[in-house]
Amino acid sequence: MTSHAWYDEQHRLTPDELQTASFPLTRWPRHGYEEEPVRAFLAQVQAELVRLINERASLWQEVQRLRRRILGTTNGNDDVLFGKDDAHIHAVRILSSAQRTADRYVADAQAYSGRLTEEARTRRDEIMGQAQQHADMLLDEARTRARAAAVAAMDKEGLPPQTDQERRAVHAELAYLRTFSEVYRQHLKIYTEDVLRTIEDWESKERAAARDIPVPRDVPVSGQNPPGIR
Amino acid sequence: MDIARLKSSFAKVAMHGDEVPLHFYSDLFLKHPETRDMFPVSMQAQRAHLVAALVSIVSSVDDLDGLTAFARDLGRDHRKFGTLAEHYVAVGDSLLATFAYFCGEAWDAALEADWKAAYELTASIMVAAAREDEKHQPAYWTGTVVGRERKAFDVAVLTVQPEPRLDYLPGQSVAIESPARPRLWRYYSMANAPRTDGSVEFHIRLIDGGAVSMALTSHAAGGTDLRIGPPVGSLRLDPASGREILMVAWSTGLAPLKAMIEQLAGFPRPPAVHLFFGARAADGLYDLPGLEKFAAGHRWLTVIPVVSGERSADRTRTLTDSVMRSGTWSTHDAYIAGPTEMVQDASARLAAAGMPAAQIHVEDFGWSEQ
Repeated sequence: MTSHAWYDEQHRLTPDELQTASFPLTRWPRHGYEEEPVRAFLAQVQAELVRLINERASLWQEVQRLRRRILGTTNGNDDVLFGKDDAHIHAVRILSSAQRTADRYVADAQAYSGRLTEEARTRRDEIMGQAQQHADMLLDEARTRARAAAVAAMDKEGLPPQTDQERRAVHAELAYLRTFSEVYRQHLKIYTEDVLRTIEDWESKERAAARDIPVPRDVPVSGQNPPGIR
Repeated sequence: MDIARLKSSFAKVAMHGDEVPLHFYSDLFLKHPETRDMFPVSMQAQRAHLVAALVSIVSSVDDLDGLTAFARDLGRDHRKFGTLAEHYVAVGDSLLATFAYFCGEAWDAALEADWKAAYELTASIMVAAAREDEKHQPAYWTGTVVGRERKAFDVAVLTVQPEPRLDYLPGQSVAIESPARPRLWRYYSMANAPRTDGSVEFHIRLIDGGAVSMALTSHAAGGTDLRIGPPVGSLRLDPASGREILMVAWSTGLAPLKAMIEQLAGFPRPPAVHLFFGARAADGLYDLPGLEKFAAGHRWLTVIPVVSGERSADRTRTLTDSVMRSGTWSTHDAYIAGPTEMVQDASARLAAAGMPAAQIHVEDFGWSEQ
């Protein structure tokens, strides 16, 4: 069937014409309509019906085409849709894709927050490691000095300090060591306090950031989750 | 009911994967917009839960006892979400619409009737269980945060005052929802034996990117009202066994075991308890000073701290290695709590060393330490 309009637009059959159609009667003895006008009228009715059927088919094709354009042709389930509540299915799809977008945003936010925590953890480990190294270094140095002092004292053992000068030298050495340990203790204290201050500073910044920035309301975590449909 | 046909049609529908729950929730929210507010913003985890529940129900649809047990728990569990009887009707409608959509031409009146019958059976068990549960306990408790102490870089101890009083057995856990993260519930174990003042401690481990743990460790200040679901979980002491006890905890897996230790302290003659407590680094053994002090006053308790070191690829293995090296445990009761791989590794190795399965009690905390 073609959908081309082969008929003449001027001569459309109307229900009214059918209502009022009249045919000349045949002569006696057979009482009836003249055959020719009746055939001509039937031909017109047939043409009108063909035209209507064609028109209906082409409109149906157009509806199908538009439907496919709206729903997208990628999904193989389309043939299932036709004849069902298409508008609702269409809405379901729009909502589903919006949900997917929301899920992605939340997942991104979760990944970002995960990265931040991980970075904070790494930096904390670095600082702790540095502090530990620094402390180890100070201790090593102090130990080396102390050992040297002990060795020096042993060297002198066989020869007790006799002169005032030697006694003064030992006192000086002792005083030096005391000062030395005092200084190193001070160094260590300042350094440790500095590290603690940095950590506190971070923590307060973290708290302030957590207060100020509106965090996404939901992020799924690993952890036990309630089962079920809800 | 043609059960074989029901199962085969479900298998065909399930082949569409995540599309199925996605379609179901969109259909439900379109027809009943008021239900959207009962769910979190991200529905990713929720969709997985729905599919898991459907798989359980469909696979046990011809085993009435199994189905009843599952649906009863599910029905009780849904009370804290504010689920009402009319929601079950709405869910049923959308579920059938979803199956019809994915079954396509295979969907007919007989199949629809079977699905309807299966759903109505499940829903009626859930509703009945929820109604029964209503007589015994509230849908949820309000837990006011009365204390928060940061014990380590990533562990905080929350003290919460539940209203009304929360009765539970040491070893059990509850789902918690923070007002900062509505509709997201996470399970935490009570970390103390029931007290006269009713207060409860939770050990919260900060999980990288974890919304609820972050809300609880950082934002839950004093006075915050949390929602607490009913106590659940099968981990609990077997006081009649008379056997000595081996406990293995990794990080905050300590919580339920600590509650059980406190419970044992109330026994006239507590059995000997060996507690292996593992973490990545020394500061991860967040509760060690408290435990050691407790052990000094209770000679039946021995605490063995184990640190794996940051570098180790298979961290929790260090803990189980240390347990297996330290003795023969087959005549003990074992209580194990922590990340999935540790719980599995420890129970498998204890079983292999001759410990009967009935003596191994575990709580899988769900996260991974790797």
